[in-house]
Amino acid sequence: MTGRERGDGESPRRVKPEDLTAESPFTLPGFFAALSDGRLLGGRCDECEQAFVPPRPACYACGSREIAVEEQPREGTILTNTEVARPAPAFAADAPLTIAIVELDSGVRLTGRVAADYEEVEIGTPVELTVRELTDQEKEFALDHEEEWPLHVFEPA
Amino acid sequence: MPDPVILSVGASPVGDSELTGRDLFSVALAEAFENLPDPAGIVDALYVGNQSESYEHQIMYGTLLAEWAGLRHVPAERVEGCAAAGALALRHAVRDVRSGQCDVVLACGVEKMTAGGTAGATEALSAAFDRALEQRSGITAPSQYALLAERYCHETGATEEELARVAVKNHSNAARNPRAQYQSEIDAETVLESPYVARPLKLFDCAPVSDGAAAVVIASEEVAATLVDSEETVRASGVGAGSNNLAVAERDLTFVEGAHRAARGAYEEAGVEASEIDVAEVHDAFTVCEPLLAEAVGFAPRRAGVECALEPGERSDGWSDVELSTSGGLKARGHPIGATGLYQAIEAYEQLTGRAGDRQVEGAKRALCVNEGGVADAVTVAHVLEAT
Ligand SMILES: [Zn+2]
Repeated sequence: MTGRERGDGESPRRVKPEDLTAESPFTLPGFFAALSDGRLLGGRCDECEQAFVPPRPACYACGSREIAVEEQPREGTILTNTEVARPAPAFAADAPLTIAIVELDSGVRLTGRVAADYEEVEIGTPVELTVRELTDQEKEFALDHEEEWPLHVFEPA
Repeated sequence: MPDPVILSVGASPVGDSELTGRDLFSVALAEAFENLPDPAGIVDALYVGNQSESYEHQIMYGTLLAEWAGLRHVPAERVEGCAAAGALALRHAVRDVRSGQCDVVLACGVEKMTAGGTAGATEALSAAFDRALEQRSGITAPSQYALLAERYCHETGATEEELARVAVKNHSNAARNPRAQYQSEIDAETVLESPYVARPLKLFDCAPVSDGAAAVVIASEEVAATLVDSEETVRASGVGAGSNNLAVAERDLTFVEGAHRAARGAYEEAGVEASEIDVAEVHDAFTVCEPLLAEAVGFAPRRAGVECALEPGERSDGWSDVELSTSGGLKARGHPIGATGLYQAIEAYEQLTGRAGDRQVEGAKRALCVNEGGVADAVTVAHVLEAT
């Protein structure tokens, strides 16, 4: 399921200024456009293999700018989780929220909401990444450019 | 190279104040310059640590406070780094003096957090998280630290009761600090019976929302000698700074690497070892921070950090005899975000000049201050301070 996207037949390579359009996964509009289509795109360092979402111009682990774009698996495991009793106003209607840091099977780690009560999950629980549009309430608090950006939510697998 | 020293300090009380940010700064300035000439006669530059304009709808704090201090003629700027802004301002002051660019620099910090209530503070602090994935998931500051606490307890076996004892210790210290927001002792039951804010962290595991301003005057040792007795000064002998990923998920969840690097930088510059530090102010925004930092800066063996709540003699082998958060820490002294790094330096100054009153650690010669910004070690600044 994980596959490299090669550009010009010689990826990975450094991103060039002209690459960085709103369609590029190296920009947030491009990253979220792909997520809207159900594809979570990450970067993988060609030097040290460190993987991350979203893609970015350089590897945080080693500094290399040779970054390949890879579609991420949806399956992962909870590394740590909590329950947010009083979230920020945009999310008050959904309180309490279960939130977790998840490590995907590719090694990528990200924070996200979990669509389950706090008691239903724990460290080690397998989860699957899903993607949904923002609710009307969430859209109210989103910046103009974020309104169409979807939200990733984990579900117990 | 000139040796930078702390020439003088001043601060407002920490708490829920009727005063605004600039007024709180006036209090800090008045104390810091009580026995000094006018700032205009000696100060060459001004740095202001300030977290957020959302509290008072005021940026340009550099210009404003320069004007307030009679320093319109010197370069002045606001320094931003969430809760590390104060120590970043201090670091700029120390480096300006060490480089010979300036003889005297005023480092200060100011925050008027209560202006927007708890909801305003929640909102303002969330701006320190990664916008793309973290903020949009609805996470709050306590829940970010709860994720770290949950993992720390899972890996080390530390318990909620042990974390509660960190709060008990720091309240006990704050009870003897006239600058503190909470000058009262609490017991572990009070912490354990307080409501969960974000499991496993409860209300009493969290630092409060605070107003406050603090000022630290840095001078070259040579110029300081013309203004005060040398025993009234403290050497700013080492400073280190380091960043880590903005998103917590991408970091080591049980070792605050950024803080480790910052402390190592400060130790190396000062030529001291962690074991030589007598007193330390560490960034205990939440109880779990103190064990994490004790391990990262070399006071405690890995996984034994939670013993920070014990007396030095009661801790495991491998622990140093350092006294932690003698001011009461962020937890109980209070945490006016952009000013906190300066309050830490003030506690170190008072300990190292024998002015810490009932909380004085006898014979304290060396101090470490560790100030973090963002969640945990997104940015960390560490200072080694030494008695003259
Ligand atoms: Zn790399």
